[in-house]
Amino acid sequence: WQKVLYERQPFPDNYVDQRFLEELRKNVHARRYRYRAVVFQSGAVVQQLCSVCVFVVTWWYMDAGMLSPQGLFGAALVTSLLGYVLFDAVDGGAGRRESGRTRWADLKSTLVFAAFTYGFSPVLKTLTESVSTDTIYAMSALMLLGHLIFFDYGANAAIVSSTLSLNMAIFASVCLASRLPRSLHAFVMVTFAMQIFALWPMLQKKLKARTPRCYVGVTVLFALAALGGLATVSSVGAVLFASLLLAISCLCPYCLIRLQLLKDNIHGPWDEAEIKEDLSRFL
Amino acid sequence: MVLKVFFPSCCSSAESGILIGRWISEQNSAVILAVVHFPFIPVQVKQYLSEVQRVTKVSVSVLGSWSNSKQEKEESLSEFLEDLGTIFSHEPWIQISKEGDSKFWSCSTLQKHSNNPKEEEIILVYYDQRKVMLSHLHPPLATATSTDHKADDASKLSAVFDTVAKSKILFMTDRYDDGPIKLTHWQSDGVEASIIVELMKQASVPACMLLTFLLSLISGICRSRVLKFWPLSFLWSKLSTCEQLGHRLQHLQVISSNKKAQNQTQLMRKANIFVSLLIDVALGILLMSWLYRKNRIGHLADTLIPVADHVAEELQDLLQWLMGAPAGLKMNRALDQVLGRFFLYHIHLWISYIHLMSPFIEMILWYVGLSACLGLTVALCILSDIIALLTFHIYCFYVYGARLYCLKIYGLSSLWRLFRGKKWNVLRQRVDSCSYDLDQLFIGTLLFTILLFLLPTTALYYLVFTLLRLLVVIVQGLIHLLVDLIDSLPLYSIILRLCRSYRLAAGVKFRVLEQQDGKPLRLLMQINPLSYGSVIQTYRLPTYSCYPKDSWTSLCKKLFLGELIYPWKHKGEKQD
Repeated sequence: WQKVLYERQPFPDNYVDQRFLEELRKNVHARRYRYRAVVFQSGAVVQQLCSVCVFVVTWWYMDAGMLSPQGLFGAALVTSLLGYVLFDAVDGGAGRRESGRTRWADLKSTLVFAAFTYGFSPVLKTLTESVSTDTIYAMSALMLLGHLIFFDYGANAAIVSSTLSLNMAIFASVCLASRLPRSLHAFVMVTFAMQIFALWPMLQKKLKARTPRCYVGVTVLFALAALGGLATVSSVGAVLFASLLLAISCLCPYCLIRLQLLKDNIHGPWDEAEIKEDLSRFL
Repeated sequence: MVLKVFFPSCCSSAESGILIGRWISEQNSAVILAVVHFPFIPVQVKQYLSEVQRVTKVSVSVLGSWSNSKQEKEESLSEFLEDLGTIFSHEPWIQISKEGDSKFWSCSTLQKHSNNPKEEEIILVYYDQRKVMLSHLHPPLATATSTDHKADDASKLSAVFDTVAKSKILFMTDRYDDGPIKLTHWQSDGVEASIIVELMKQASVPACMLLTFLLSLISGICRSRVLKFWPLSFLWSKLSTCEQLGHRLQHLQVISSNKKAQNQTQLMRKANIFVSLLIDVALGILLMSWLYRKNRIGHLADTLIPVADHVAEELQDLLQWLMGAPAGLKMNRALDQVLGRFFLYHIHLWISYIHLMSPFIEMILWYVGLSACLGLTVALCILSDIIALLTFHIYCFYVYGARLYCLKIYGLSSLWRLFRGKKWNVLRQRVDSCSYDLDQLFIGTLLFTILLFLLPTTALYYLVFTLLRLLVVIVQGLIHLLVDLIDSLPLYSIILRLCRSYRLAAGVKFRVLEQQDGKPLRLLMQINPLSYGSVIQTYRLPTYSCYPKDSWTSLCKKLFLGELIYPWKHKGEKQD
């Protein structure tokens, strides 16, 4: 018996012999994950969750009047300067030379955005006066959730859109900031949001790439700070948050590795042809 | 084929003679125009006929013989008549004879050179020569889609009508003329004319010349450079009164031109324009006399200022309502106050302006009312313009609101694309992804939030002012519709259809008269007048009509996007 159909054979058309499915391969492209690597990578998700938590807690304090805008502004400014210096020091100036972005350009964009926000802060403050509080809370929660979903954690998926995630975070911050008592509060809140959602992830990405151990340490510290802040607001929330963080950093990697054993992809000569060549030489 | 003989009913009681008319060989029909009586000299008859043929371009010839004898048929007369056939050679030679007072005539044809000697069937069709001569046959309007059969019928009829209409000169000689030929036709008892018509025809020539001179003077002034400077020309184009006056001037020019009307359509159009102008001016003078009696102008002027004040007060109340919480909607207080105060200030300006003008209103109205003598349409146009001027502030508010809203919508749509990380590609006319800088993103999102939350406020103001503006536009549109109606109605044609319905013929109908065996079939041809609908459709005067520029969907789309709408488009305006 030959595995052809264009010759008349004494066997029926759907006959198979003992060499059936010999060429079946299973899980050829399955990746072998290592627990520590996965935990390390899950730090990105933990970071973002903590950012959101810190932001919300800060807003809470400002709303309750326990944190003064000047204090927050000062603290944010100091940490920003520190981060700025660290950003260049980590890779010895190589990234800056590569991207060609001068310090003067950085200063300009900072001034522009600060002036803009300061100028619009009275408008921002009265923006949601007539909207009910529940709507504001719901909208902000939705937007922050969207921020977490669309954030670029390093995966190469189609749903990732760093622009959209940043915009959603800013939108949420504006919504929340408009609930604060005075326009200075609104200005400081929006600036703080900008720093924590736009500048902090940039620094973290660089740290992760260059100094993994430092990165782990920073993540752990940040998580503890977030937990601590949340605990002063609501203990139940802190417990829930802690469990969420533990689940994401420890439980999910374990589940991922365990479920890999159940993977059952079959490959064979019936697969679609893949073009392995690099087509860029034709373009 | 059947031979059809069209016989004028006025010649039924004529003396014996020969029949002259036109032979239409394609349809095998003979249209008899008149009867030439004995005695006559054949050469003179032939000369006369060739002259008639030269003038009218209708091939008139001798078709046959007609004998009307009080006694029984005389053999010798019939032989004489047959001999005539040899003198005036015509194929076929028709012989009609009437005995005594009998209704049934005998008709026979003589074919000398025919192949088949069998007897041809003859149909006698009586027609009223006067009516057919004066009427105008309107071809069926759907000639493109009708079958060939119908088109054939129409052309057959039109051939008959044409023949009678073009042979006008034949009917000019009546029996009191001393000529070599004695004819009987519809005007043989005396040419129809009326003194009034003749007088008017004589008087119209110098009147036309005078009118033409005056009109050229007026149009020369209107076209002068002084009036063409930018602010004035813009003003003239916006006032509908000027358009209407220009339209009427054009009409007057058409009427007073020295060229005679070439064909029926032009004649009817001139007549329609003339009657329409006359009725318009008459109605206008009526209106004027009513207005100027009992000092109604004064009353009107007195009520105008309070009405304007009332409108302004209503607007102020409306704005106060908007500045609060209108219909329970939540507005942004700061923006609300800003917009509301801005518009209130405008209304305040407007009221002061009206009060400034109030002493002059009565005089202005008095002089403006005089122009109603130019026609009712002009008066209506002036009314429409006065409404436009009085509601100018509504128009201003609408423009402000629309511009603000349009800007907002435009900004929102662009920033929404930025929010998602996309950009509008102008080159490819589609939305593409784009990587923005950090500060662009930030400022863009901030602006997006601001615009989004301020949208309800602006949208409400825009909605309110758009509704007001639409109301004013609808009122003006109704007035213009009325003006259009008066302008384009063909009154003369309608009156003609009412009084002399045979003048406008849509077709003919045949009535079968009493028959006798052995005698030819007799039919009476009666004119079928046009229906009123087709009269109006055919003779409608062209106007500079205003019709809606946009369809409903595009209008809604424009309203939604905040583009300014000018719903009526005039015919002369350029397309944008």
